[in-house]
This record gives sequence, structure tokens and C-alpha cells, in this order.
Amino acid sequence: MSDLRDLLGDIVADVDAVFLFAPSSSFYGNFEEVADTLVVVVAEENAVGAENFVELPLEFNDVSSRVRFGIEGALGKDLIDEGAEIACATKTFDENIDTIMRVKANQFSPSGVYGLFTNSRAEPAVIRDVLEVAIELGKKGQKGKPVGALFVVGDAGKVMNKSRPLSYNPFEKSHVHVGDPIVNVMLKEFSRLDGAFVISDSGKIVSAYRYLEPAAEGVDIPKGLGARHMAAGAITRDTNAIAVVLSESDGLVRAFKGGELILELDPEEY
Amino acid sequence: MSFHQSFAQYITTSRFLLASGIFIVGLVIGYTVSRLARRVLEAFGLSETVEGTAFERTARGLGTSTVGVLSQLVALTIYVSGALAALQMAQLLDTYTFWTSIATFLPQVFIAALAVIAGLVLGEKAALLVSERLRGVKLPEVGVIPTLIKYSVFYIAALIALSQLGVATNALLIMLTAYVFGVVFLGGLAFKDLLAAGAAGVYLLLNEPYSIGDEIRVGDNRGIVQEVDLFVTHIENDGEEFIIPNQQVFRGGIVRIRN
Repeated sequence: MSDLRDLLGDIVADVDAVFLFAPSSSFYGNFEEVADTLVVVVAEENAVGAENFVELPLEFNDVSSRVRFGIEGALGKDLIDEGAEIACATKTFDENIDTIMRVKANQFSPSGVYGLFTNSRAEPAVIRDVLEVAIELGKKGQKGKPVGALFVVGDAGKVMNKSRPLSYNPFEKSHVHVGDPIVNVMLKEFSRLDGAFVISDSGKIVSAYRYLEPAAEGVDIPKGLGARHMAAGAITRDTNAIAVVLSESDGLVRAFKGGELILELDPEEY
Repeated sequence: MSFHQSFAQYITTSRFLLASGIFIVGLVIGYTVSRLARRVLEAFGLSETVEGTAFERTARGLGTSTVGVLSQLVALTIYVSGALAALQMAQLLDTYTFWTSIATFLPQVFIAALAVIAGLVLGEKAALLVSERLRGVKLPEVGVIPTLIKYSVFYIAALIALSQLGVATNALLIMLTAYVFGVVFLGGLAFKDLLAAGAAGVYLLLNEPYSIGDEIRVGDNRGIVQEVDLFVTHIENDGEEFIIPNQQVFRGGIVRIRN
């Protein structure tokens, strides 16, 4: 009879790196003694003071997108190389780490989700705040009736010049930033009317009710998505902005960059 | 007349009765006022405010609290004043001048003690507040600033206490003046540009002569406004981003380009 340890030990045998997703400090402490294996911590904040750390901008509830983000982040930071074999320790059901999986860094094509946060014009914290607002809006909107919303983040000067107002701008001469406590309520109210929100690199809400007028050629987004998504894809191709869209029909939050769909989240899971 | 009777007469007629009365009244007033002080201090939420400071921890270690110490201080001052007044009345002591000087000295001691306590608590609170504010700044050296503020407040509190007690504080006062002069004058000199930019930035943010998306020219820099904050304005044209201090925008004037 073989021991369970022998059978399952193969999963972590000869890996190049161990990825710990939001470990507790005692859990991480045990790993520090493991020699000649790279230990990378992936979490929302570096609470354990790890040397190799990838910041998660969102608490991805879906395990595969969490792992994907961690690996893309580590690749982006040159912590691991393309062919690395990685053991990931993460949580699926429990509050503590309960899942071990083995992945190859080149197993999936990069989605650019890490670059969406770190290589965009806008600050990562701003993009995270906008995604949170969109998720919140998706959740709350569904109780009454579903709402749609389009946020264009970063490169606001150019975006403003490639759009025109649909109505007077409620954010004129106001200095509201996404992430301010009052913003969720305001955005919820203003999302009733059509049009895009324009948000600057530092998170200032520049305008609401903007009609985007980008050139739409060469935009490659999945068929079946509506005008809002097309406008979002097109504006990110035309400018250096990114766009976050809450779909009115299927309630999903999608992020676009460079004319491509980068990230798809279901607000219900958060 | 027996000894009993003469003693009873002395007790009832002489100043001794009055003195005892004063002493008892002093005790009662002291106790009431200290209870009242405790209530008032608690109503103002002093317990929560001082929570976690070193003084509160020390007080707790001694089985009391900051509120307790303060109300005890009040009570003690009134007890001692009552006792002094009673002694005065009973004329039990001849050294009249000694006790009057004590009586005038007492409020000063009270204020000095109050200054020390307030200084200890305030200093630590101020340091805590500033370090909370500076948490976002990820620079190890920034930890010096809260400590500096804490000891500045301690220093001023000590100065107030010592001057209340009549200790010669001239040397300390001169040091304080030099320190304040250094901070204000040299700080003002160092932050001159930032202050000017901030003042101009307030105007720009409130009145928004230009907003994000407008094309403007400031000096030789022409482009689209990407960002306006308190200190700088970001203007971008093809491939170049100018970050212009706001006082320069204000001084040089703005050309808005419309077409």
C-alpha cells in the first residue's frame, strides 16, 4: 500500500516556486524555512512582510482568476520565468488555505489582467475602486431593476475631447474622487441616465453623461455585447484609458484595455 | 466649673468650632466637586480620548485612571485649602506668613499638575494623530515627525508647569523661541514654493478657469489638461506631459485655446 503522502506529494514535487494566497503569518513563517524554492505571497496587502509579493487588487472569489492574476503578476515582476512550475496554496471554501494545485506558468495565454492594473495610466487603487463601485452597482441594481454603467478611467483629457456631453455635468466644479464614501450613492443615482463616467488618472470624477465618440474600427470584442461595450472597447483603443462596464442585460462587470476585453467578473460572487 | 464644662464651653464658643466647621465644609465641597468633575470629564468623553496613552496606562497600573487622577487632584486641592482655612481660623499656628504663602502657592501647584497631565496626554495624542495621517507615506524617516511633535508638546507643558511654580524658565523660554523661530521661519522658507502653489491651487480648484479636457497654454507649454490638483497642473500634448506648479500658472496667466 502506498502512503497518501507519496501519492499526493507528486503535486508539489520539484516545483520552482510556491505561491501562497493570503497566508496567515504563522503559515507563511513555516514556509520561510523551506530552502531552494521561491516563496511568493499573493494577497491584497503584504501583511506578513514577504520579500516576494504580488498585490491582488481585488479579492477574486473565483480561484482560477485569482491564480491567474498571481502568476501574471509574478511574471510581470520577473519573479518567475515562463516555463516555471508552480504549486499554489489557496482557499476555495474555507477561511484558511485548503487547496493545493500545480500549474505551469505558460499553461494559459496571458489575459493582461495584471497589466490592466499596473500598466495603465490610472493608479491601481483608482482602478480597483472603480471596479468595486461597478460590482456594488451590479449587486444593488439587481434588487430593483438592473442598471448599466460605463466608466472610462485615466487619460481623461483625451477622453473628454473624444466625447460630448449628453446633459449638464453634475460633477462640474466638484472635487469628488472614486473611493469617497458618498460616491457610491451619487454614481448609483447618475447611472440611471445613459452615458459614460469619465474618471481621471488620480481618481477624480471629471464628468458624467458623456457620449463617447471614438473611432470604432479595429475593436475586437465578443459578438453579442451591446453598444455600451462597443463604446467602451473603442474608447480604450483610441486613448490610453481603460473602461469598466456594468452590463445591463447580463449584469456582468467587464474591463477593457487597448480595445480588448481583459477581465470579466460576476458581481454576485463578491 | 469642672474641666468638662470648660472644655465644652471652649468647643462650643471658641473659634475651634468654626474651624472644624470650615474643615468639614471643605471636605464636603471637595468630595462633591471631585464627583462633579469626574461626571463632567466622563460626559466629555475624556476616558475614550485618553485611552491607550502612556499616562492612562500608568494610571491604570496604579489602579486609577486619568479621570480619577484629575478628580482626585481637584478634591485634594480643595481639602488642603479647607484644612489651611481651618487652621487659620483656629489660630493654632502662629507662623501666619508661612501658611499664607502656602495658600497662594496651592493654586499654582494645581495648575502645574494640570499642565503636566494635559501635556502628557495631548503630546501623545498629537503624535498618534499625525502618525495616522502619515501612514500613507511609505518612508521610514517620516516616523521622526510624530516623535518631534510629542516632545515639543511635552516641552511646552513642562515650561508652563515650571513657570507656574516660579522656577526661572528664561533659558528654556529662549530655547523654545529659537526652536519655534527655526520651525516657522526656516520651514516657511523651505516650503515657500509649495505654499504659493497651494494658495494658487485653491483658486484654480474652486473657480476652475480651466478643467480637464480643455486645451490651454501656460508660458510655452501648450496641451490638454489632464489633471489639476492642489500643487500642480498636468498638461499633455503629443508625447509630452508638462507638470506645472500652480503658482506659475497663476503668475504667467492661462491662455485657453478654442477653435
